[in-house]
Amino acid sequence: MTDSLDNARQQARAWLAANVPSGPPPEEGPASRAFVLAWQKRQAESGWAGVSWPREFGGRGASVLEQIIWFEEYARAGAPSPLDASFVGLNHAGPTLIACGTAAQKAFHLPRILNGEALWCQGFSEPGAGSDLASIKTRGRLEGDTLVVDGHKIWSSYADIADYQELLVRTDPQAKSSRALTWIICPMETPGLTVRPIKTMAGPHKYCEIFYDAVRIPLSNVVGGLNNGWPTAMSTLAFERGTASVALMIGLIRKVEQLLAACPADRAAMRARLAGLRAQGASIRAMAYRVALESADTVPDASGSLVRLGFSEFVQEVAAVAIDLFGLDAPQVLRSHGLGYEYLDAFSETIAGGTSEIQRNIIAERLLGLPRGPR
Amino acid sequence: MNYGLTDDQASILAGLEQLIAANAAVTPVQPRHVHYSEALARAVAESGYLAIAREGGFGVLDAALVVERLARLPWVIEAAASAIVAPILPICADAGPIALSRGDGGCPARFLPMAKVLVLDQGDVAVLVRVEPGRVEWVESLLAYPYGRLDSLEGLDCQPLEDRAALRRRTRIALAVEAAGCMAAAVALVVEHVKARHAFGRPLGSFQAIQHRLAMAAEVTEATKWLAFRAAWSDTEADAAIAAAFAQSHVGSLTYDLHQFCGAMGLTLEFPLHLWTYRLRALLGELGGASAQARAAAVATWG
Repeated sequence: MTDSLDNARQQARAWLAANVPSGPPPEEGPASRAFVLAWQKRQAESGWAGVSWPREFGGRGASVLEQIIWFEEYARAGAPSPLDASFVGLNHAGPTLIACGTAAQKAFHLPRILNGEALWCQGFSEPGAGSDLASIKTRGRLEGDTLVVDGHKIWSSYADIADYQELLVRTDPQAKSSRALTWIICPMETPGLTVRPIKTMAGPHKYCEIFYDAVRIPLSNVVGGLNNGWPTAMSTLAFERGTASVALMIGLIRKVEQLLAACPADRAAMRARLAGLRAQGASIRAMAYRVALESADTVPDASGSLVRLGFSEFVQEVAAVAIDLFGLDAPQVLRSHGLGYEYLDAFSETIAGGTSEIQRNIIAERLLGLPRGPR
Repeated sequence: MNYGLTDDQASILAGLEQLIAANAAVTPVQPRHVHYSEALARAVAESGYLAIAREGGFGVLDAALVVERLARLPWVIEAAASAIVAPILPICADAGPIALSRGDGGCPARFLPMAKVLVLDQGDVAVLVRVEPGRVEWVESLLAYPYGRLDSLEGLDCQPLEDRAALRRRTRIALAVEAAGCMAAAVALVVEHVKARHAFGRPLGSFQAIQHRLAMAAEVTEATKWLAFRAAWSDTEADAAIAAAFAQSHVGSLTYDLHQFCGAMGLTLEFPLHLWTYRLRALLGELGGASAQARAAAVATWG
């Protein structure tokens, strides 16, 4: 570790120790929104917001190694999950705007995302198009300088508290999907847009479905060009290396260590299982670092799917072992937002954002070079 | 060997179907994740289905058929303990609902909020407790069953139970049978889903990766059911422990696969898969989990 990296770690550690909010974040609704925005604002005020964003757009411009260090310290400090309502803005919409947005779009939206003034959600999946995004049916009809959107999106996390949505719509019904979709900035207050929260089996609502009834969005909100939505959506990869997931990984490894510490010495099988999970966590973390660092100066290949596949199943195994350790009737399992909730919530890990089956297809076809199967 | 239903068994299950149809409306119960049907519980108990193992010419296997069918319903009633465990307890046929737990009653127990009898396995001893409703506190849980705990045993009518081995044997059979019903209902739901749901221009169920794993889920479900029925038929320690161990050791992978095939829809309260996921997860953790049943099976088989 060089002195400058060590210095970066000490700086991050000191700032986080003094600023991480205490207590659990509110689980949903306006209180959750206020909490997420306040934490983002606090990071921005001290120059810690958008560590992966280039400096010219207000980010910290940190190298991949510096980003990893930040998120290592972030996890160790017990900071709020990076997978909260700020995630889409910081890790997807913002980077897409940086890569493909107009000067006006960048000037308006990027500071709002970084400074904790606006939250974003995603509008990609539809009831008939989850893993198969090419089947998107929500239409955007051109009327003068406006796109009129009709359709239905679903599985949009935090749409009920978001200000903007990155919305993917079909604007050319005749063309193939790679040339038929358009990426638009959709303000969530636009007339004709209805958000319905969906309750999940884990308890609080996490997802929403959104109905669009003649929602009028100006063409100036198109990002990356009309009918160019697919490459625009993929452009995030140009500099985003998924380093935020490091914080999640380390948080989970720490949880395994805590479970190991709580495991009685006479439960040999449970200790062996936990030790195996600790090793599994270390292996996934090592793989994640390799993928992030090797792709620092290039567009990443499909190796991220290896990490994603391993990590999502690791989350579920840790959630399951926690219940088995304490027993189903333990207070920490049964209570609201306890380990029972975490177990049920973890079912989404291998589904949301690309199922494990899709990750396996990507690994088989793009990394191993196997022939593409029938779709 | 005949695996078909006898005329009497077919008649019992046909009558049960009518009863289920007549009590299909479920009154919501708080807390919100509990799916208990008071009306069906009363109707099933009053119709004598839970006392069937006590009737001449019938036995635990007939009770297991009833419990397995009831476990396939999207809501819960206390049937397994009353139908399968109660006949070995010193209580009359209509003494239920019954809750089964461990320790001193302070641990949350399934069905305790409505139970009249609580059976506690305390390791070296077991006791039968007459429950006074005012002494039970509801415990919020995500796992579909109503859970409650006693404030204490003090002042309650507690009766020692001598045959702890029989209690554990029947409890394992009850668990395996209930799990088999939950698995069967969940698999049936998902089979219909993957037939109807399309991705990449074809039904999900036409993808080989899904077909193979769903076929394995069907195999596990059938195996669980027949092991449970065998245990109910033989009523032996080894069969009971093997059936419970098999059921508990397969719940994790089965529920994982079933949820994968339903995608995000399967995570919502609007899609009923969670109703069986909750219950299977609860059953997976009981009696010390699969490894405890496997150890019991080894002891019963090899000493």
